[in-house]
Amino acid sequence: MSAAEQLKRILTVIPRLADGEEHPVDEVAELVGIDRRKLVADLTSVSERYDTPGGWVDGVSITVGAGHVSVRTSHFLRPMRLTMAELCALELGLGLLRRERHAHELPAIDRASERLRKAITELPQNEQHEGMRAAELSYGGDPTHLATLSRARKAKKKVRLRYRSGSAKESSERVICPHALLHSAGSWYVVAYCETGEGMRIFRVDRVEEASQLAEEFIPSREADVARLAAERPFVGEPERTMTVRYSPRIARWIREREGGELDADGSLVREYPLGDIGWGVRHVLQYGPDAEVLEPVELRGEIVRRLESVAL
Amino acid sequence: MTTSRTTQKVQRWIDLLTTLLSHNFPLTFLDLARGVPQYLADGSVDAGEPSPTLKRMFERDKLELRNMGVPIETIGEEGEEDISYRLRPGDFYLPYLEVAAQRGTLKPKKIDRHGYRSLAQLTFDADELVAVAEGAARARQLGDPILRADVDSAVRKLAVDLPLGAASAGDATYVRQPRERADAATFEALSDALFRQKRVSFDYRAMGRDETARRTVEPYGLFFLNGHWYLVGRDVDRDALRNFRVSRVGGVKVNAAKEGTPDFVIPDGFSLRDHARSRNAWELGDDQPLEAIVELRGRSGAARAAAALGEPVEEHPDRRCYDVRRRDVFARWLLSFAGELVPVAPPALVEEFRAQVAATRARYVSGERA
Repeated sequence: MSAAEQLKRILTVIPRLADGEEHPVDEVAELVGIDRRKLVADLTSVSERYDTPGGWVDGVSITVGAGHVSVRTSHFLRPMRLTMAELCALELGLGLLRRERHAHELPAIDRASERLRKAITELPQNEQHEGMRAAELSYGGDPTHLATLSRARKAKKKVRLRYRSGSAKESSERVICPHALLHSAGSWYVVAYCETGEGMRIFRVDRVEEASQLAEEFIPSREADVARLAAERPFVGEPERTMTVRYSPRIARWIREREGGELDADGSLVREYPLGDIGWGVRHVLQYGPDAEVLEPVELRGEIVRRLESVAL
Repeated sequence: MTTSRTTQKVQRWIDLLTTLLSHNFPLTFLDLARGVPQYLADGSVDAGEPSPTLKRMFERDKLELRNMGVPIETIGEEGEEDISYRLRPGDFYLPYLEVAAQRGTLKPKKIDRHGYRSLAQLTFDADELVAVAEGAARARQLGDPILRADVDSAVRKLAVDLPLGAASAGDATYVRQPRERADAATFEALSDALFRQKRVSFDYRAMGRDETARRTVEPYGLFFLNGHWYLVGRDVDRDALRNFRVSRVGGVKVNAAKEGTPDFVIPDGFSLRDHARSRNAWELGDDQPLEAIVELRGRSGAARAAAALGEPVEEHPDRRCYDVRRRDVFARWLLSFAGELVPVAPPALVEEFRAQVAATRARYVSGERA
């Protein structure tokens, strides 16, 4: 543990404590993101002094009881200003938010950034922090659809969606209740209750052709259910069977890095996937060309050959 | 009774800060030292001639506190006799943060004591507060522990006045993390090297050759794209700009020579934001871009979304044009649409695609394993 980390913690905790009142130690520890042992250790370590004069502690009183802690001091009653590193971290998040939102929501994001800039410590080395990190949650579709879904989700309003699934030849219209947005492996998805399909579904946002917020509100499902659904594979639909794929030694290492599993003796990798949609299975395998081969089911092998033979050049 | 070096340092820093904050005028080192018991320990301050060891200790303390963001001001030129130091409460303490809402302004309790009365006041509108809370949540979701620590630290400060927890309660947005993640120590070392512009060396697992080699890099930035963090920098041995997936980096060593001096300068023309722009795999590479013309023959959602990535072609509403640097990668991407997207030009791309179709079909028909 470095001295800088400890000082930062102390400067964070004192404004929460130093009103002369007793505070539940666990509550304060949680507020500053440390456990109670560390909190007590921080307070006692800076107050145990054997110097004469005693420095800061001369005007300080600290009590640590079984479940409570209190501090009296005239210093550090406010938190320190934001550092440039902290500002840059928040601005990175605001930058991501900017790309998810409607144009009319952007001024609030920009103003928030301006306000935060007024709360930082001014130092010559501040500019060194800027531009050290960048982030993008990539998105290939119409940005207004993501923004509409985001806004409707917050307002708990239903959305009329024109959507064309990966395999569908025609788009279809449905009404959804958007519960959550999920970014996974380069794509945005909306986790929603589909009134047409009468169940929770996950829609890939770049396949949305039209999205319009309706006036009708919905009652969200339990957050835990949504989080669980969002944590599962978003693209397999209702799995009915399993697809087994063998990846050649040429690409197996990349697949293993992404999905796990053990390489076979020849360096290849065999993985199983829930298969809810034949079209998804075909696309998934063909993206690797001859370096991936469906072993099962046999019908999918046949479908791949049929589709390859129908490619006219 | 002994006290650990870390504790001694924290005690010394706190004494230094309180001494500076207690005075509304600049202090010379001798004045300052009288408020910091550890600076008095060797007796040189009382003798009126601070020892070189003590001066070095003070210089280190000052530097480390500034690196933490403490704006200790130097009045006068370094090295001069009458140099003095100042830390104004208004420059150090967070302004009072208010929230303007429809029902009125939510104001923090002000501290009626010397040093706190003059603090500035900053008013956030309710929608700005929500933006801060949701932006913080989004940055936390990216999986970089250093970034997360900075966000958490900022939020803890702001939350002394602002109800940030309530503001972010409705943000049901998730960013799924990849299976393989970099460890905190790697992020910490790379962030440190970036900040100080020091060269780093590390073991890097090159997936193409399935081998691990030591690389020496001048780091220009860290970026998050498609679920992964990357380090971008000049690979010193190859004298070229390279991206390194952070989860494949290990054994990072930051150049320890000339600690306080940068090892390199990031070129003026380099923009991390532009570099980190989302691109498709076929757009990456050093080859000259070729214009690929592709015909849309299917109507599935996947094919139409893919077609939307290209530019329209005049007089051919069913065709799209793409800038392609990696022909083989592009051909495989087209193959995944199983005939719904088919290249029509240039001939080399058509031939590449044809070869991919034939080789893939042969895998199923001949039974030969790759």
